[in-house]
Amino acid sequence: MTTDVIQPGPDELRALVDLERGAIDRRVYWDEAVYRLELERIFARCWLFVAHESQVAEPGDFLTTYMGEDGVIVARDGNGAINVFLNSCTHRGNRISLAEVGNRRRFTCNYHGWTFGLDGALVALPQEDVYRQTCPGFDPGDLGLHRARVVSYKGLVFATFDEEAPGLEDYLGDYRWYLDVLLDNDEDGTEFLEGSIKSRMACNWKFPAENFAGDSYHAAWTHNSGAMAMLGMGVGKSNQENSYQINVNGHGWQFGLDMVGNAMVLGEQDIVDYLREREEKVAARLGKLRSRMVGSISSANLFPHMSFLPGQSTFRTWHPKGPKGIELHTWVLVNKSAPESLKSLYMKGVMRTFSPSGTLEMDDGDNWENSTQTNDGVVTRRQKLHYALGLDSGIQHPELKGAVHLRKYNDSNQRAFYRQWLKLMCDERAHASRS
Amino acid sequence: MPVNLGETPILRKPVAPPPPMLPPRDLVFEVEQFLYREARLLDDERYQEWLGLMTEDVHYWMPGIQSRHRRDKKPRLDPRRMAFFDDDLLNMRRRVTRFLDPTAWAEDPPTRSCHIISNIEVELTDAPGQCRVYSAFVNCRGRGEAEEYWLSGRRNDVLRRVEDGGLRLASREIVITQTVLLAKNLNVFL
Ligand code: FES
Ligand SMILES: [Fe+2]
Repeated sequence: MTTDVIQPGPDELRALVDLERGAIDRRVYWDEAVYRLELERIFARCWLFVAHESQVAEPGDFLTTYMGEDGVIVARDGNGAINVFLNSCTHRGNRISLAEVGNRRRFTCNYHGWTFGLDGALVALPQEDVYRQTCPGFDPGDLGLHRARVVSYKGLVFATFDEEAPGLEDYLGDYRWYLDVLLDNDEDGTEFLEGSIKSRMACNWKFPAENFAGDSYHAAWTHNSGAMAMLGMGVGKSNQENSYQINVNGHGWQFGLDMVGNAMVLGEQDIVDYLREREEKVAARLGKLRSRMVGSISSANLFPHMSFLPGQSTFRTWHPKGPKGIELHTWVLVNKSAPESLKSLYMKGVMRTFSPSGTLEMDDGDNWENSTQTNDGVVTRRQKLHYALGLDSGIQHPELKGAVHLRKYNDSNQRAFYRQWLKLMCDERAHASRS
Repeated sequence: MPVNLGETPILRKPVAPPPPMLPPRDLVFEVEQFLYREARLLDDERYQEWLGLMTEDVHYWMPGIQSRHRRDKKPRLDPRRMAFFDDDLLNMRRRVTRFLDPTAWAEDPPTRSCHIISNIEVELTDAPGQCRVYSAFVNCRGRGEAEEYWLSGRRNDVLRRVEDGGLRLASREIVITQTVLLAKNLNVFL
């Protein structure tokens, strides 16, 4: 354990991430000072995924989640707009919503009864006249819950507390072309199925994020037992020449063009049939190449911490809880137009593979916790970690967008993740968020 | 004027529940022994024998619980929502396949698990040969050097008598006390 919480400067940070040689300093996984800087410069500045629009479909629908360690409420108001604001009262800071999900017209704080609208504005308070008489310059308009900027991309709702951050379009860039594989392969769009499974892991948030960004290499080894359970055989060697890693602004996606490889792991023939039946339709919409990505063996991470398995249709966020902890929220994404019976198969398939009881996720969590725990021994921490796979694998591709690397057994996306991490961590702007 | 010291309409009067239809003592004893043996099979990782205690049409369900306000019209648990377990026999067998696979790295060295089963109530049902069984459990898992995970909750089972004269588990609903699972995984049946 370190007691040093002095903020590391840019030179110190640059020394942690050697992208030329592919070496990463273990300090990024345990150091309290590094972690605090991540909360300031990554989680308080990036566009963070907070919800799918379908989770707050009706006016008054809300859910509570986190942006970094800051609790927020995501609520749809009477005008249909989605608002994101701090879940902390402007009076004494009490938590406003204790429920994780629900429907309300307004939020009333349990402490003194200040009441806020679905847009976070202070709309009523007990004994308001006392405030008006004895509190010079009292203006309820100044006392709304602190709001984030909110923008959606094809159903996914993102928010940022950084007033100066460029728009979501810039943040996602060409990654949208890949997101469309999931979000736009059907004209009716997508939804999250009801319910979210939440769990805690004692690992640094970057281990799962970088794993989903590009660690195809672990799958055959880590998940052999899960594949035995779901398919009756191991993961098998994948064809490296027809597989890619792509990255854009630190977002990563590794994939093959096998169309159904990951979907098969859900253990439901009907899901595979559904994907095969739709191939032509999807190809007409997104082109041949992207139609082969829909259910393929793949994984992805949208920087910093929203990961998904395109083939399994599971989305998750790894909310940081200190340098050595996360809270994992898991959902299932489906096409709105899919038959109800198929939606239920997707839900069960995700549950039995990538949820806490899942035959595949169980082995992941163990690895990430142990990687986190070992890294801060005083001698251990001086040994760098190896991230040099595929250092020269960059290619030009006629169709694929972003930085493209051949072969998915590759650390390129992880290096890209840390390149973006370093860039943001070295941005010394004083305080991006309006106070 | 006397002050009112408690007889307000909010202080509800006690209502005695109707006396239960007591099940036969032998059946209660048999159910208890069934549940204790089942727990021991799980603690000893004798998963195939444990599967042998299920009916062919077993439904094994552990819903995720949502933290919602009391006046919320939607329930805190709902079969249409994402669950921790929502299995038929085939999928329970799939999970057991992983547990018993030598490459299930997270199970080696093994997790040390102890199930404590209590508060057993047996209710006769209209279906012949079937009874409803309520129980509470505490489960403790130890992993590696110092990992420890506690879970507690209630179970609502249906047990059915089958041809060989024994009891089998036909359905189980497990409701735990956590909404956020305070563990990295659920490598245990409850
Ligand atoms: S803290 Fe919320 S009303 Fe006082
Ligand atoms: Fe994995």
